[in-house]
Amino acid sequence: METKMPIEIQSRDSDEYILNMGPQHPSTHGVLRLMLKMDGEVVKDVVPYLGYMHRGMEKMFENKKYEQIIPYTDRTDYLSVIPNNWVYCMAVEKLMGIQVPERAQYLRVIMAEINRIMSHLLWYASFGMDVGALTPIWYAFKEREELMSLMESASGARFLHNYFRFGGFKADIPKGFIDGVKKLLARIDDDVDEYEALLINNVILTNRTKGVAPISREKAIEYGLSGPSIRGSNTAIDVRKDEPYGVYPKFNFEIPVGKNGDTWDRCKVRMDEMRQSAAIIRQAIDALPAGDVMAKIPKIIKPAPGEVYTRVEGPRGDIGLYLVSDGTEKPYRIKMRKPSFSNISAIKELIVGYKVADVVAILGSLDVIIPEIDR
Amino acid sequence: MTFVELLDSIKSKFQITGSKEDLGILNVEIDKSKIRDLLKYLKTELKFDYMFFTSALDWPANNNIETIYYLYSYETKTKIVVRVKLDRSKPEIETVCDIYRTAEWHERETAEMFGIKYVNHPDLRPLLTPDGLEGYPLRKDFKHDNMVKMPE
Repeated sequence: METKMPIEIQSRDSDEYILNMGPQHPSTHGVLRLMLKMDGEVVKDVVPYLGYMHRGMEKMFENKKYEQIIPYTDRTDYLSVIPNNWVYCMAVEKLMGIQVPERAQYLRVIMAEINRIMSHLLWYASFGMDVGALTPIWYAFKEREELMSLMESASGARFLHNYFRFGGFKADIPKGFIDGVKKLLARIDDDVDEYEALLINNVILTNRTKGVAPISREKAIEYGLSGPSIRGSNTAIDVRKDEPYGVYPKFNFEIPVGKNGDTWDRCKVRMDEMRQSAAIIRQAIDALPAGDVMAKIPKIIKPAPGEVYTRVEGPRGDIGLYLVSDGTEKPYRIKMRKPSFSNISAIKELIVGYKVADVVAILGSLDVIIPEIDR
Repeated sequence: MTFVELLDSIKSKFQITGSKEDLGILNVEIDKSKIRDLLKYLKTELKFDYMFFTSALDWPANNNIETIYYLYSYETKTKIVVRVKLDRSKPEIETVCDIYRTAEWHERETAEMFGIKYVNHPDLRPLLTPDGLEGYPLRKDFKHDNMVKMPE
């Protein structure tokens, strides 16, 4: 089938050429294809091609029962597994009127913040590798290994946990879990300071990223950005404060923002978020009540007919799930609103006018992940 | 802003075909010819500056496809849903991507999944589906050779 190329070179005498940053590339964080129209080393125009990982998830969900869908929500974004499980379970619980017990609510917050630290550590490692620093990955993955072992002892899997259920958890946390988390929290602040000094405050990185691709607050809201990508532009927007869910209103934490909205600010915001997550986990562990972790739910899950939209704050931004139910055992329509979809639609605004080496740094600072764009 | 104020403010300027309140959120239904004016009014006067997404629902029993626009205001922290019913045999509606930039890619995805034609959209190439796919995948009557019934 013939499709017209959306990029054209103006005339044969100019210095312009088309460069394909193809789907197989170590820095595109998945299978993303960018067609760049270049003039020497400066980017003039960009057209992204997506859909290499499209699995038809929304169509598949219309044929599955509600409880069979939970493992699929992990696989939309394999780095922010817990928020994806949470937003789906929250939607079904709202339609069915299920109340989650108190202990399960605190445990949900602890797991979500642990997952946020894990995701930001992996972002740190891969961002370092993108810009050419090969040392940060060895530091960051040491923490991540310990966190993954803790999550494995609690949920059974290192990576794609599949942990939440409607109404809480299937089983309580194992015996050494809280001690393991406390041991880690004792040194996480010093470690984050060390990581920041190693990469983010490094003179090579600051020269490469300060002043590159700033975006203003109004433009960011128009494009629909969310998460650290918009918080770098001096906008304190966070679902945990705007529309609190779970037991987040009981905790004391701040929302870090950047000043100028350029690439360096987006990176610095993520390091500060790791510190705030550690503060939330400390408060949650101190206040963890005793009790059961699962509510009483019916054997067959059949929500009442209706629609609901729930949001949570994931590591990349604002994750939303729109659920339409018609009273049967299978959903009528599920629409997943993912933050990377809107974040990457602003790519043309950010890249045009900068050099090809900046393209990699800008893509890294947006922290997109392709499976959640393609679904 | 409470629902009653919001609904009255919209009703004073536009002729709406229906409204309901669903789990705390106001749903407003309007005819497709007035959608651009309503969204411009919501953005500039009532400060709904953020669009979460736009998508569609297929109702083959009623023979229509319903497009929804989910909007949010960061100043007043309220949500609103705007719904438009389109004819299933020939769904067409004007684009709103110059009012909300997010809608550009969301409309592209809805167009390839449901077959809705967005008039005046700058670029309606398929976004996620492979080249050469016939039919509209998210409609309820979509058939493909690879869709085989699995044994129970």
